Amino acid sequence: MHIPDGYVDLPLAVLFAALSLVALSYAARRVGGEVSDARAPLVGVVAAGVFAAQMLNWPIPGGTSAHFVGGAFAAILLGPHLGALAVATVVAIQALVFGDGGLVVLGANVFNMAVVEVYVGYAVYRAVAPHGEFRAAFAAGWFGITAGALTAGLQLGLSAAFRYELLTTLAIMGVGHLLLGLVEGAITAVVYRYLARARPDLRPNAAPEPEVGA
Amino acid sequence: MAPDWLPRAVAGLLALALLAPVFGWAAGQVGYAEPLENAAEMTGATDDAEPVEVAPLPEYGVPGLGSAPGTLVSALVGTGLTLLVAFGIGRALGEDPDGAR
Repeated sequence: MHIPDGYVDLPLAVLFAALSLVALSYAARRVGGEVSDARAPLVGVVAAGVFAAQMLNWPIPGGTSAHFVGGAFAAILLGPHLGALAVATVVAIQALVFGDGGLVVLGANVFNMAVVEVYVGYAVYRAVAPHGEFRAAFAAGWFGITAGALTAGLQLGLSAAFRYELLTTLAIMGVGHLLLGLVEGAITAVVYRYLARARPDLRPNAAPEPEVGA
Repeated sequence: MAPDWLPRAVAGLLALALLAPVFGWAAGQVGYAEPLENAAEMTGATDDAEPVEVAPLPEYGVPGLGSAPGTLVSALVGTGLTLLVAFGIGRALGEDPDGAR
């Protein structure tokens, strides 16, 4: 889902970069001064896990493949604001170090994967959680990645390189990731259940942060 | 002070990074293509893609190194770098920015 440079018209790229900047500043303000010493390493580990997992391309025969994106996963484990910052770190490193996703469109890629997937995924998780955490994590991964794909499809379909074929880009991105999202949802749910059982203390809403220095 | 779960978490990350060349090979076998690439082909956008010229490890490879070792090095470097940067962000947003270090 990483858009290369040249695909999205410059004004759109600038617009979504601005939106990402606003969203990430908001995220940083919301969690600023509240990340405990015990939680900072978890931010690093979740981001690193998302990076490593994104390198594992699922080899699906038949012309449409994908890889785990992990926005919803990070949101559930870290909370949406730290989740957004963690995935934005991943997307930025992918572009700057590995050329995966363009530099001009970095803000658009951050918007799709680190803002839309994270916050939509988290909202779905919260909405479904009363019916079971496993289902909630599954739905979060599934609909989170689909939402991110739709905003990517929107950016592409409103651009000259894609001949402004908005319906085509939305259909291919949306339907493609709606199907592939089942795998995203399954991984999100299975890994989350494993972590929640192994270390219930690491969940963001499991217990209040311990008072530091008290 | 490092939390008690950190060694196991790092071992898990290392395992994921070691898997990267295997998945990379398998994806190459089936002709990996994301919906984004399919949409680009259908609308004729593919030729408009511009690679990032300044990436030190372009397309998760090391210039001059083979595909599998290049992927492995990229996975290790990228995972480690992400760990450090995101940890730094967590620290910067922490309660006591002057703590460790």
